Amino acid sequence: MDDKLQKALEFGNYSTTLENQKRMLHEKFVTDTIYFHAGGQFTINKELLNYVHMLTETGQETTVLVDDNNIPVEVEVNDFYANIADKFFTASNEYHTAYKKLQKSRSVDGLVE
Amino acid sequence: MTSGVLLFAYNNEQIDYVAQACFLAKRIKQYMNLPTTLVTDDKQRVLKYYNGAEIFDNIIASTLEQKNKKTYHDGSLSKKVLDFKNFNRSDAYDLTPYDKTMVMDTDYIVSNDILSKVFESSNKLMMYSRSLDISGWRDELEFSYISETSIKFYWATCVYFTKDLENKAFFDFIKHIKANYQHYRNLYQITSTVFRNDYAFSIAAHVMGHVKELPGKMIYSTHKDVLQKINNGNITILVEKQDRVGEYTLLKSKDINLHVMNKFSLNRKVTNA
Repeated sequence: MDDKLQKALEFGNYSTTLENQKRMLHEKFVTDTIYFHAGGQFTINKELLNYVHMLTETGQETTVLVDDNNIPVEVEVNDFYANIADKFFTASNEYHTAYKKLQKSRSVDGLVE
Repeated sequence: MTSGVLLFAYNNEQIDYVAQACFLAKRIKQYMNLPTTLVTDDKQRVLKYYNGAEIFDNIIASTLEQKNKKTYHDGSLSKKVLDFKNFNRSDAYDLTPYDKTMVMDTDYIVSNDILSKVFESSNKLMMYSRSLDISGWRDELEFSYISETSIKFYWATCVYFTKDLENKAFFDFIKHIKANYQHYRNLYQITSTVFRNDYAFSIAAHVMGHVKELPGKMIYSTHKDVLQKINNGNITILVEKQDRVGEYTLLKSKDINLHVMNKFSLNRKVTNA
C-alpha cells in the first residue's frame, strides 16, 4: 500500500479512537457529577453551584431544591454547597487530567492503554 | 426495609446466562454492596456447577412455559438463531424477596456505585429512557422510540421498584400486555414480531406514567461490537466501524456501567474471569 494512503488510514483510526475515548471521558464526568442527597438526585452544573452559592452568601440556612426528577428536597445550604462543590471540582479535575493524557497520546495503543 | 438485585438467567443452547449472572453478582457485591437473588429454571445445576450458594443471596426456581427465537450476533460477521427465554420478567414483583429491588439483565456490567444510590431515593419506580451508543455513529432511533410512530422507549435492562400497590399494578399490567401482545403490537405500531420486555415495560410506563429516570444513561454496545477485555472498572471493546463491515475500532471505558449486547463475547470473558 502507498505510504501516504497507509498514513491517512492510520490517522483515520487514531482520530476515530480519540473521539470515542473523549466521549467515554465525558460520560464518566457526567456520571461523576450526579449528587444524591436526602432521597433526591441532583446533576451538579454551574447553574446549581451558582444558585446554592448565592444562598450561602445571602445567609440562607435551609432551602428547598427541585431535583432531577422534579421532587422538592429540603437541604441545609452550607453543607449542600460544600458537598456539591467538592464533588464537581473532583470530577472536573479528573476529567481534565484524563483529557490531557488523551491529547498527549499519539497512537491508538496510547489512547486505550 | 430489605434491598437487593434480582437477576433472571435461563441458558439456551449456546449462551450461558447463569455464568453471566454469577459474574454480575460478584460485581454488584463489589461496587454496589448489595445482595443478589437469581431466578433460573435449573437451581440444582447452579448450586452444583456454579457455586451458586456462595454467590447468591437466594436462588429461586421458576420454569418458563414459553420461549422465543432470536438472532444473536457475534460481531458484524457472525450470527445464530437461538432460543430466547425472556417471558417471566413481569414476575419480578412477585418473585423478589426484597422491599426495594433493582432488576438487571445479566449482560449489564456494573463498574461503579451509582445505581446503589437509588435505593435511598424517594422514587418508587425508575428506568432508563436516556441512552448512549458507544459507537457514536449508529442510528439510535430504535432505542429512542418503540417504533418510528410510537411512544418513548424505556430499557427493561435495569428497573428499580419498591413493593407497593402502584408497582403491583404496573407489573400486573405488563403481564396483561404479554398475554395480549398482538393487540398491543398493533396499537403501538411495533414492527417486531418477537415479544420484547423493553416494549412491554415502555407501554406500561407510558400508560401508568409514574416512572422516573435512573441516574445517568443506559450506555450500550450492540451485538455488532465485540467485548475484548474486562479488568476491574476498565472495559475494552472492539466497536464496529461505520460502512466497513467486519472492521472495528478499539474503545476503552473506565468506571462506566455498560450494557454489552454481544452475549457470545461476554460469555467468553466471564467464563474466563
